[in-house]
Amino acid sequence: MVKKVVILGGGTGGALLANKLPRDEFEVTIVDKQEYHHFLPALLYIAFRGYRKPIKRGIKTLLKPWVNFIPSGARAVNLYDRYVELENGKRLNYDYLVIATGATMDYSKVPGLDKVVEQFGNYHSTEENAWKVWNSLNSMGSGTLVIGLTYERYRCPPSPLEGVFLAEEYFRMRGIRDKVRIVYITFYPKPYPAEGINEIVEPLLKERGIEYLTLFMVDHVDPEKRVIYFMEGEEIKYDVFIPIPPHAGADIKYTPEDVLDSDRFVKADKFTNRVQGFDDAFVIGDASALPVAKTGVTAHLQADVVAKLLMGETAANTGRTHCPFDVGYGLGTFVISDFRNPALRFPVGKLPHLFKVAFMASYWDMILYPELWDPIFNAYFSATEPSKLRVFYG
Amino acid sequence: MSQSNKLLVDARGLSCPGPITELVKAYRNAKNGDIIEVWATDPGFEPDIKAWISRTGNQLVELRKEQDRIVAVIRVTAKK
Repeated sequence: MVKKVVILGGGTGGALLANKLPRDEFEVTIVDKQEYHHFLPALLYIAFRGYRKPIKRGIKTLLKPWVNFIPSGARAVNLYDRYVELENGKRLNYDYLVIATGATMDYSKVPGLDKVVEQFGNYHSTEENAWKVWNSLNSMGSGTLVIGLTYERYRCPPSPLEGVFLAEEYFRMRGIRDKVRIVYITFYPKPYPAEGINEIVEPLLKERGIEYLTLFMVDHVDPEKRVIYFMEGEEIKYDVFIPIPPHAGADIKYTPEDVLDSDRFVKADKFTNRVQGFDDAFVIGDASALPVAKTGVTAHLQADVVAKLLMGETAANTGRTHCPFDVGYGLGTFVISDFRNPALRFPVGKLPHLFKVAFMASYWDMILYPELWDPIFNAYFSATEPSKLRVFYG
Repeated sequence: MSQSNKLLVDARGLSCPGPITELVKAYRNAKNGDIIEVWATDPGFEPDIKAWISRTGNQLVELRKEQDRIVAVIRVTAKK
């Protein structure tokens, strides 16, 4: 009997999963309030390089012809009675539900932040906000640029420092590096929270004259005075502030309510992605409250696991990350780890940057044709398992 | 008169930087006088919490190792 699968969200995780499920076993429906799928990692390059290539595609064009697409928001999910309620009140019943709603921004968690974003933008939300960052950098001839974490939940752990490194490169290319003070702020004890990566990037920050304030927790911002206030009373003045904004889960009413954490992310089992307490509901990617990085590769690998589980196979997440980390000047490192292996000390070189560029070029194809790309990815992930690479980069 | 609260942060099983992230989440909503008790299993938590206390000026009431966890008891005193 064909099983009805409803997937909330047509981003990386949702679209990949839909395209992986065999049409003779599943009737798959994707629900998304947006018509377009955005390649979010490109926001970094819009913000710091003025990247002009298109970064969005119609969701429908990225799905196999037999996958249904409903362009609507979901306002409620009832996990007991197995239905999703759409914005128009219509209910969709399911045999299996997959929540892939991603993360949204909640500027209200830090007073003053909404106005800061309105003024200078950010590179974690929309193309429009990423272009604001680019325009803000272009308008700077001198002064203090602050980039940094404003809250404890955010996607793409490398991206805050990637922005800092690309900004430094940008000002050097413009010949005004000596006139711009660059400050990175973070609530973590070290610039990068994972020790292996920190050992790579902290010396780079020092070498490039980038200041960093660790263990600084943002309390609020005064956009008029251009001052960031920290919880213990310190403050820093800025000319341009590019915040990494607070991320939160989608605004959907869940029954039962306690599957959500305090930031509206969905609680789940870290090995199977099953929603806490439910065998027929899963959450993948940025929407989950799991203690794993909110990254595309996480969503990709979780989609693999959930597809296998839906097909009755045995599968479990390993917690694998494999994120290229751009440090400017055509160089980068990789954040490679899993549940058993902390982040490796992958040396800075050209390969990670080239990998990132190649991945951007193949992204849409990878979403639409997982049957062609999976063997390549599987071989790559197998060859680069953290336990194997530890011998060289542990 | 406002009442002090005791908050428990169970960060067992989370690897670095999970415990410090969970502590900061609790701290954001705490007020001076509140007690935050953190349970962690990651060995990196011990140096992290010492650095956090030293930087922020809050009070470390107790830091002890039990058989299956590290327990840090913090009194919030430094918020402005």
